[in-house]
Amino acid sequence: MRRTLAGSLLLLTAVAGCGADTEQNASGSKELEVLYKVEPTWPHLEKMLTDAKKQYEAAHSGVTIKLTPVQGNNEAYYTKLALLNRSPDSAPDVYLHDTFQVNADVAAGKLAPLDEYLAKWPDWNEQFPDSVKQAAKGGDGKIYGVPISTDTRGLWYHKDVFAKAGLPVPWEPKTWNDVLTAARTIKKKLPDVVPFTMYSTKIHGEASTMQGFEMLLYGTPGGTLYDEAQKKWVAGGKQFTDALTFVNTIYREKLGPKQADAHNAKLADKANYEWFPNAKLGIALDGAWTAAAWKPTSTKPWAEWKDKIGWTSMPTQNGEEPGAVSMSGGWVMAMSSYAKNKQEAWDFIAVATNKENSLTYALGSGDLTPRKDVAADPKYTADNPSVKFFTDLASVTHYRPAFEAYPKVSAQIQEALEAVTTGSQTPEEATANYAKALPTAVGGPDKVLAR
Amino acid sequence: MTVATAPAPPVTSTPPSGSSRRGVLRWLLPLGPAIVLLALFLAGPILWSVYVAFTNETLTGSASVNSEFVGVANFTRLFNDPNFINSFVLTFVFVIGSAVIGQNTLGLIIALLQRGRGRMTRSVVNGVVIAAWVVPEVVAAACWFSFLAEEGTLNSVLGISQEWLYTAPMLAVILANVWRGTAFSMLVYSAALSEVPKDLVEAAAVDGAGPGRRLLHITLPLIRRSIMANLMLITLQTLASFGLIYALTGGGPGTASQTTPLYMYEQAFRYFEIGYGSAIALVMLVIGALFSLIYLRLIKVEDA
Repeated sequence: MRRTLAGSLLLLTAVAGCGADTEQNASGSKELEVLYKVEPTWPHLEKMLTDAKKQYEAAHSGVTIKLTPVQGNNEAYYTKLALLNRSPDSAPDVYLHDTFQVNADVAAGKLAPLDEYLAKWPDWNEQFPDSVKQAAKGGDGKIYGVPISTDTRGLWYHKDVFAKAGLPVPWEPKTWNDVLTAARTIKKKLPDVVPFTMYSTKIHGEASTMQGFEMLLYGTPGGTLYDEAQKKWVAGGKQFTDALTFVNTIYREKLGPKQADAHNAKLADKANYEWFPNAKLGIALDGAWTAAAWKPTSTKPWAEWKDKIGWTSMPTQNGEEPGAVSMSGGWVMAMSSYAKNKQEAWDFIAVATNKENSLTYALGSGDLTPRKDVAADPKYTADNPSVKFFTDLASVTHYRPAFEAYPKVSAQIQEALEAVTTGSQTPEEATANYAKALPTAVGGPDKVLAR
Repeated sequence: MTVATAPAPPVTSTPPSGSSRRGVLRWLLPLGPAIVLLALFLAGPILWSVYVAFTNETLTGSASVNSEFVGVANFTRLFNDPNFINSFVLTFVFVIGSAVIGQNTLGLIIALLQRGRGRMTRSVVNGVVIAAWVVPEVVAAACWFSFLAEEGTLNSVLGISQEWLYTAPMLAVILANVWRGTAFSMLVYSAALSEVPKDLVEAAAVDGAGPGRRLLHITLPLIRRSIMANLMLITLQTLASFGLIYALTGGGPGTASQTTPLYMYEQAFRYFEIGYGSAIALVMLVIGALFSLIYLRLIKVEDA
C-alpha cells in the first residue's frame, strides 16, 4: 500500500518535471533546440549544423545549441515536426522546414517572421537572388525562413545502357513519347534493366507529387494545380488525366520498377547506389541533387559517374514551348514563434546559412545553392559537371502553389498516383476521385474550378 | 472489489452514517492511487479525443490553433468515404480470417493434438508456438517480409518469382498474424482442455462414440465458455492490430491491405487530420464495444 502511494508520488513528480521550462537552466545559460533530418545515406545537413554549432558556441558564450535529429525520410520528419509544434513547450526553437509547408504554419502562427533580422543582415541582399528570397514568403508578404537549398528536376540516364540498347547518346527527348519510346527500347533490348524510374507511391510522399506528378502536369498545355487568375484549385481535367496516363503506361507496360520497389521507401537509394552504378537502370526522373549519391562526399562514391551518366531536361507533353519543364522547391531554416530567445535563434540561423556552412551543405547534398558566393566558388562546380545544367533549368521552372491547403492537395494527388501505379484505378477514375475529394481538401466547393 | 462488499465492522458505539463512511474509505483508499493515475493519464486524452472528433482540428495549418466545432460532419464524411468503407471491409476480413478462423481454430487443434503426448513433444511444440508470440510485432513483420519477399525464403523453396506482398497482401498479413497470435489461443485451450474430466470422455468412448462425436458432444460443450472468452479477447486484439500490418505492407499496395487502424493513422498523422482520425477511432471503439457486448451476452446466455 505504502509502496503504491510512494510510486504514484514519484510518477507525479516525474510528470511535473516534464513540464518544467528547459529554456534556461540553473546556471543561467541559454539553450537553443535545433530540429533537423538525418538518414544514414544523408548526413550532409548534420555535418553543416555540427560545424555551425561549434562556430556559434565559440562566439556566443552562455548559449548552448542542442541539435535534435529526426531519423527517417521527409514524411517521417514532417510528422515529427508537426507533433512537436503542437505545444510551445515541445516546439524546437529553430528548424529545417520544407517550403511547401511554410504557409500552413504561418497561418497557424507557429513561425516567427524574420524581416527585422534580415534587414540588418548584409548577406540577405548581397548574396540571395530575389527569386530565392520568395521561397519562404508567407501569404502576408513577410519572410519566414532563410533558404539552405533550392532545386530543379530533370532526367538522368545511363549512357552505357543507352548505347547497348542502340539509343543515341547524348539523348535529347522532345516529347513524352520520346521518353516512353526510349524506355520501351531498353525493355526490349535489355530485359534485366529497369527502363525508367520515378516516384509515384504514397510512401514517397511529396517526392511523388513533385518529382513525379507535377513534372508531368506542368508540362501539359495549360496544366496547373491552381488557377492564379481565378484564385481557385483546378479539379482534374484532361491535363491531370494525361499526366496520370503517362504513369499508368509506365507501370502497365512494365517500363518502371517492380511494384515492390515502387513501394519501397528506399527506392532512391536502390536506384542511385545499386542500379545506376551496375548499369541496371536506364532513365530516372529525379532532382538536381541526384549526383550527390556518387560524389566523393557520398557514403558510397562512384567515380566513373561523370562518364557513365547523362542528364537532360524533362520534355513537355508534345514538345510545346518552352520545350522543357522543371519544378523548384527547397528547404529553409526557420524560427519558431514560440522561441524564447529570438535574437540568439536568429544569430544561429545566420551562422548556419553563412557562406562556409552553405558550401559544406551544397557540396555534400548536391542541392543547388541559394547563395551567389557559393555558386561562384570553384569548389561548388569542380566535382559536379551537372550543376550548371540544373541551375540553368531555372529558366523553365515552376513553383508549387504553396498555400495553406497545398499539403492536403498533395495528399490527394498521391492517392491518385498510387492508384494508377498499382492499377487499381484507371487514370480517368483516379482523376474523377481527385476532383471529388478536392473541395474537402481546400475548404469548400467555392475554392474549386471545375474542368 | 470483494473489499467493497465486505460487511462494515460491527462497532455498535458509532452511528450508522460513520460506519458507512468508513466503509467507503476502506475500498476508496486502496483504489485511490489507481483511480488518480487513470484519471490523470487516460481520462484527459480520452475526453480530448472524443471532443476533437467533433471538430476540424488538424496538426498543422490554422485549424491546428483555431479549430471549430463541426458537429457530426466528420462522421457523415466518414460514412461517405469509400476509403473508410474499404478499410472497414478489410478489417472485417482480417479479424475473421486471422483471429476467428485462423488463430482460434489452429490454437484449438494444436491444444487437442497435444493432449496425452509426452512431455518432450509438448514442450518443444509449446516453445516454438510461444516463441512466435513473444517476438515484438516489428520483428515478426521483418521475419515475414524476408520470408515473402521476392528474393525470400518462400520463393527460393518454391523456385518461383512472385511479389507476394503486392499480389496477395491481405493473405500475407492474415498468415503473419495467425502465425504470431496462435500461441494465445493454444494456451487458453490447453488450460481449458485439462479441466475436461477424463472419465466423461472415456465413458463416451465405452458407449461407442468415435473421436469426432466425443469432440463435438463432450469436449467442445465443456470448454464453450473458454471459447467465447478467447474469441472476445482475440477479436479485440486483432481489431486494433496496427504494427504488424504497418511494418509488413504499410497498408498497401494502394489501399489493398489498409485496415481501419492504418487508415486512421494515415489520416491523423500523415495528412494531419487529427479531428477526422479521432472520429475514426471513436467508431472503432464503438465497434469493439459492440463485439464484446455480443460475446459477453453469449457467455451470459450460456450461464443461464
